[in-house]
Amino acid sequence: MHPFTYTRVDDVEAASAAVTTDAVSRAVQGPDDTVFIAGGTTQLDLMRDGVWSPGTLVDVSRLPLADVELDEDTLVVGAAVTMADLARHEAVADLDVLRDSLLLAASPQLRSMATVGGNVLQRTRCRYFRDPEVTQCNKRRPGSGCAAIEGTARTHAVLGVDAGCIAVHASDLAVALVTLDARVRLHGPDGGRTIPVADLHVRADVDPARDNVLAAGELVTHLEIPVPDARTGYLKVRDRASYEFALTSAAVVARVEDGILAHVAVGLGGVGSVPWRATRAEEVLRGQRASLALFEQAAAAELADAFTVPGTDFKPELARRTLVRQLRDVTEVTA
Amino acid sequence: MTTTTNAPAGTATPVLGAGVTRVDGPLKVTGAVPYADDLAPRDALVGVLVGSTIAAGQISLVDASDALAAPGVVAVISHHDAPSVVRPNEASADERAPRPPFQDATVRFHGDHVAMVVAQTREEAVHAATLLHVSYDVSEPVVDLNDPRATREDDDPAGADSTRGDLERGLAEADVVVAADYVTGDNTNNPIGLFAACAEWDGESLHMWATTQWPSNTADCLAEAWGVPREDVRVECPYLGGGFGSGLRPWPYIHAAAIAAKVVGRPVRVVLSRPQMFTDVGHRPETVQHVRLGARRDGTLTAVEHTATIPVAVDDDNPENVVSGTRQGYAVEHLRADVDQVRLHISPPGSMRAPGEAQGNFALETALDELAVELDIDPVRLRLHNDATTNPDQDDLPWSSKALDQCLRRGAELIGWDDRDPAPRSMRDGDQLIGYGVAAVSFFYFQQPCTVRVVVRRDGTAAVHCAAMDIGTGTYTVVTQVAAERLGLGLGDVEVVLGDSSLPPSPPAGGSGLATAISNAVALAVTAVLDDLDLSGAPGRDALSRAVGARDEVAAEATAEPPDPAEMGMSPSGAFGAKFARVRVDADLGLVRVERLVSVIDCGQVLNERTARSQVIGGAVGGIGHALLEHTVTDLHAGPQTGRITNAHMADYLIAVNADVPDLEVEFVGGPDRLNPVGVKGVGEVGLCGVAAAIGNAVFHATGRRVRRLPITPDLLL
Amino acid sequence: MSRHSLHVTVNGEAHAVEVDTRRSLLDLLREDLALTGTQKGCDQGACGACTVHVDGRRVLSCLTLAAQAEGREVTTVEGIGTADELHPVQQAFLDCDAFQCGACTAGQVMSAVALLEEDDWSTRDDVRELMSGNLCRCGAYPRIVDAVLSVRATQEA
Repeated sequence: MHPFTYTRVDDVEAASAAVTTDAVSRAVQGPDDTVFIAGGTTQLDLMRDGVWSPGTLVDVSRLPLADVELDEDTLVVGAAVTMADLARHEAVADLDVLRDSLLLAASPQLRSMATVGGNVLQRTRCRYFRDPEVTQCNKRRPGSGCAAIEGTARTHAVLGVDAGCIAVHASDLAVALVTLDARVRLHGPDGGRTIPVADLHVRADVDPARDNVLAAGELVTHLEIPVPDARTGYLKVRDRASYEFALTSAAVVARVEDGILAHVAVGLGGVGSVPWRATRAEEVLRGQRASLALFEQAAAAELADAFTVPGTDFKPELARRTLVRQLRDVTEVTA
Repeated sequence: MTTTTNAPAGTATPVLGAGVTRVDGPLKVTGAVPYADDLAPRDALVGVLVGSTIAAGQISLVDASDALAAPGVVAVISHHDAPSVVRPNEASADERAPRPPFQDATVRFHGDHVAMVVAQTREEAVHAATLLHVSYDVSEPVVDLNDPRATREDDDPAGADSTRGDLERGLAEADVVVAADYVTGDNTNNPIGLFAACAEWDGESLHMWATTQWPSNTADCLAEAWGVPREDVRVECPYLGGGFGSGLRPWPYIHAAAIAAKVVGRPVRVVLSRPQMFTDVGHRPETVQHVRLGARRDGTLTAVEHTATIPVAVDDDNPENVVSGTRQGYAVEHLRADVDQVRLHISPPGSMRAPGEAQGNFALETALDELAVELDIDPVRLRLHNDATTNPDQDDLPWSSKALDQCLRRGAELIGWDDRDPAPRSMRDGDQLIGYGVAAVSFFYFQQPCTVRVVVRRDGTAAVHCAAMDIGTGTYTVVTQVAAERLGLGLGDVEVVLGDSSLPPSPPAGGSGLATAISNAVALAVTAVLDDLDLSGAPGRDALSRAVGARDEVAAEATAEPPDPAEMGMSPSGAFGAKFARVRVDADLGLVRVERLVSVIDCGQVLNERTARSQVIGGAVGGIGHALLEHTVTDLHAGPQTGRITNAHMADYLIAVNADVPDLEVEFVGGPDRLNPVGVKGVGEVGLCGVAAAIGNAVFHATGRRVRRLPITPDLLL
Repeated sequence: MSRHSLHVTVNGEAHAVEVDTRRSLLDLLREDLALTGTQKGCDQGACGACTVHVDGRRVLSCLTLAAQAEGREVTTVEGIGTADELHPVQQAFLDCDAFQCGACTAGQVMSAVALLEEDDWSTRDDVRELMSGNLCRCGAYPRIVDAVLSVRATQEA
């Protein structure tokens, strides 16, 4: 690990002022960069791997951003709230998609450490990205190529990717958030702005070297999560029964009225370079009579243009099945 | 000192089976247990190994100037300047020990040791390691088992190859022949405890605290490497944080600590990182196997052919007998078994939890299931029908003990075998397909000489000294029990000292062979010391104290040697077992979850029901990982990084977690083995074997899909 | 400068230390405070062997910077019981033979102690899931579940 300076800040203004470059948005950080650390569960792992070597860490874990409030039909969650605290908060007790996306992630210890702000900004698990000795990585060294394309890619993405980078965004929570139309409040040197979580991340097929759209000094301060008038659910498919990232996952928000999908939102995890909102599937589903055949059609539409390599060729099929299963279970459609 | 072979049976002591709690348990639950690194001198410098970033070639230069200039750095050691040490042989003399590091410029695998940075703290050493500039002349590595350029060795170092009868004749006599290829993936031992070594020199005397499953051999190899008298080398390792075979060999990191300490003239500690645990301390090699079975309509096996190809590192030896279970498993007249090794630029494989047997059993027991389907015979009945009542691999000598038939029958009863619908894909609960599978295990016998010293003190208490390791299996506890039992003492009156090469020499804690060796050595040494004291039976503390009299203590050593089968007129048995699995497979998603797993084991005299059960449970958990999760993946294509392990991270190399494991049912059957006075057979590895095949066979029963590859992952079942 | 001074309370004892900013809480415990009961299993946040309590919550000390523990109360396995006076969870692990090599045991025990303070579980499967952040390579899982449930049963009795 490269030597670094550590400071802790007590207010949001000081945090924003401390970070003067766009380092937080880049896939890699170097000795000239000052970046935030909160729970540290991604940051330290990447620093230990030698992928990140920031010169200064600004600890934002103790900022007064640890409250969960219900404002009308919107949950406002401070960015420093831990995954564990949000998962056990009474406000999410009936919001299955959110609660399960938290409880099916990581482990109890990690959920006690990791903040929700850090979670949505977590970085890819691509082992080629995470090993600095690998020379071909368009995230770390733009223009150098992608070792994963020819390499071992079972856990990689098939949507929002191309031959330049197939890194997956591994957050479960972020998939639930994009499906719930959640927004993220940012605070920067020039004040605040609020953007949809769906606009927070940068697709690998757009720019693999940039992970998110945060400007210099911008800090995630809150998540705004609309509570839908609908049934919801999150299904995570993985080799191991627990403590593993998703091979595939599906977040579903749906309200069926007289057999018709009056409201539907769908997200996919484990398959996208960003938390994937399945808009093509939604187009097929919206306003239609819920049926297993319709779900199959919607899932097929979403995965139709999947980009696969030999290691990921099973993923579109597994993702389709995951989505169909979860649509079925949330809508309780039987045929 | 007494040297003798084991006496014939009949003197077994059934009360030993009682499940006392571990004598070292309080140390472990309170965190007071001293592992190797915990014993290192606190003023030791920290050494960090640097691995190559290529898999084959020559190091042209290690430029250490930047690293040496970094804060805290004391030395950088590479082949440019390291002292020469001799490559030793393992105690089993025809096998070369792993190469000591920094002896030449050749890179033989990705992660091969290029240099060591020695600094004041670990943080400083790790950072300085990133400042080394290493240049290479790169060669094209051969890392794929199927690469035609790979050198194929067929000299049979494991003694695996065997031919009985006439395979072609056996096949001609068959009504049905099944044949298939099976592939098992590479696995990594990954004990939770990171391996560590600390070396301290005092002149030409070397003292090491190092993670090992075999202190005697590690000290032998270090003495040979440095050309110093054996008594001037001491290796201490009272406890280790798991080994599963990875601590059996004297790996380069141990030499690296000794080399570094020699160079800097101070103690040096090395703790491997988790990624280094994938390349520095062995792994279970992948296999490609072919099994062909011939049988008559009634299920009688007429021919068995089992061949395997496994990799071995360039310039290393690691005999791995993939076909041992096949050779002795079933009564078949015509058999051909053959293992070939292929040399690859991979990190040296080593033993991992039932090496060879785990992979070979999967192929054989899956093939038997396929045969049962083909013959429309119950898979349990097929195995019982072909049960070898004598050892077909050893002149048909009668076994010293064998209760495989009981294992199969009892296991079938426990899992409710006869209540299942035997038709594939016939049992369903909602989205879940349900399946049952069985596999049998005939584990090999392994025993090596073991010497123990028993000391009776003036107060009538006793101590037992042996270099052997307790790798968590309960050696401290069972040695305490055996000694206490035979001396008539309470458990608290016996002190057991293990894990120190300066104590009487022992075999490895491996091959399921230590319990047999050490318990019989203890029995013999107790007899010897009682002889010296003119006592017999189990005299008890008062009588012992009186007999010692005014002396401080009376000690005796004894060595238990493996018996000669021909002289005994019987074939020494290893453990036998039957595994039954009930799985649920999601019909759409391909997720396999083990719902029940029954292990019925014949391991002779159970020395401690509690720890033996834990060993079988632990083996079953390892078997679930072997079957469904574990796979060390080597990159075969990605340009300069070819040969690199791509999942050297505990979040990416999946071992079973608590949620993967149901309650595991374990029963012991059979009785004391006839071969040795204590009647014990090793139980260390039989627990893992057969689990993968039982699960795979259950997956077939559930889904109708035959997966001939490990691990069985959801993508194979879509 | 890449060093940092901090105050931290470990097992009830206050410490003022200056550390390399890179030092993890785990290495602070093991190297600076000689509390070697907490084990380093991966240093990757992926095995749970280094689990300790920080202000009563179970966390991974390998993924916590020592500097981030400023002002916190840290409890390690050495802080909950001794060989002569075992914590009920330690006693249950001993009674249930819930370990073999012991490398994961400190983390398992600390995780279990924290779990027993939590109230959002009830079943055997809950325990399996909520103890899944602690890998055990010896495979003692069913016995670990037994140990946790035996303590819960005693608590409830």
